[in-house]
Amino acid sequence: MNAAADLERRYRRSLAWYPRAFRREYEEEMLTVLMESARDGQRRPGVAQAADLVRNALWMRLRPGVPRSAPVVFAAVRLMYLGAVVEVMTLITVVLTAGMLRSEILSVDPGFTAAQWQALVWTNLAPLVGGGTMATVVWLWMAWANGRAHRWGRTGFAVFFAITTLSLLNGISQDAAAYAMPDLIAGIALWLVALAAVVLLYTRSSARYFRTPRSI
Amino acid sequence: MQEATFLILTALAAGSQHGYGIIIDVLAISDGRVRLQAGTLYTALARLRTDRLIESDREEIVDNRLRRYYRLTQNGAARLATEASRLHANASAAQARLQPGGALS
Repeated sequence: MNAAADLERRYRRSLAWYPRAFRREYEEEMLTVLMESARDGQRRPGVAQAADLVRNALWMRLRPGVPRSAPVVFAAVRLMYLGAVVEVMTLITVVLTAGMLRSEILSVDPGFTAAQWQALVWTNLAPLVGGGTMATVVWLWMAWANGRAHRWGRTGFAVFFAITTLSLLNGISQDAAAYAMPDLIAGIALWLVALAAVVLLYTRSSARYFRTPRSI
Repeated sequence: MQEATFLILTALAAGSQHGYGIIIDVLAISDGRVRLQAGTLYTALARLRTDRLIESDREEIVDNRLRRYYRLTQNGAARLATEASRLHANASAAQARLQPGGALS
């Protein structure tokens, strides 16, 4: 097989990392540019070039696709990323303070057994960590969906907001041990972020953004 | 505005160009310092099109390969002008202060 055909095949393989819609619009054109910049007899993409293709392709898939003409939605998507960050920080705090919590209990009640500790972890901490992990994934997923102008993303986030509200109210009303003060503060902070994002998503200018077809 | 974006808009300010043409032009404008890779170039071009700062001018087929030419929109020209005067003001301020008799001497 000749060098050019070899090179083209390899470039196409790198370009396959891009989202389909982007490829439909730009693949042939990018291939033209790649082949034009190639040296005579070159058979493989350069390392820097291939890395640049893959890096940009991944960025294409992950980046929020909100245009500058929709600053309100852009702000909402940023708030969702903020929500994910707060959620992760809360998770880390919970995990790191678990050991401290145990020594604190032991200092008050030296008879506290390992079995009791395990039961406590399983009934209180594990659901908190599990729920927090799930919530982080949902925050990120929603940021992605709304950044891509998927209409279901907006509805999905409204539902997520409703669930967050209910679980916060539930936590407050139960006044359970699991809802210690720092927990409550984190819960309220997250709820406020979600509230702000949901309000931004349902303004009139955002409605226009969700109506227009998505561009690449 | 990122430097690559600024240089791409500058390349297109002189008239419409295709992808490879932009790469060569940016290399010349930046005095050989910025060699755009295809991935970076097209991420920027797609973004600039979404923001309506550039638009597709025409397409042609050369040796069985697709070439698309891009040109600045009015918005794009305005943004480039704003950015250019901002950079110019910053650069002048820096040079004025570095000269003998400036704030630092």
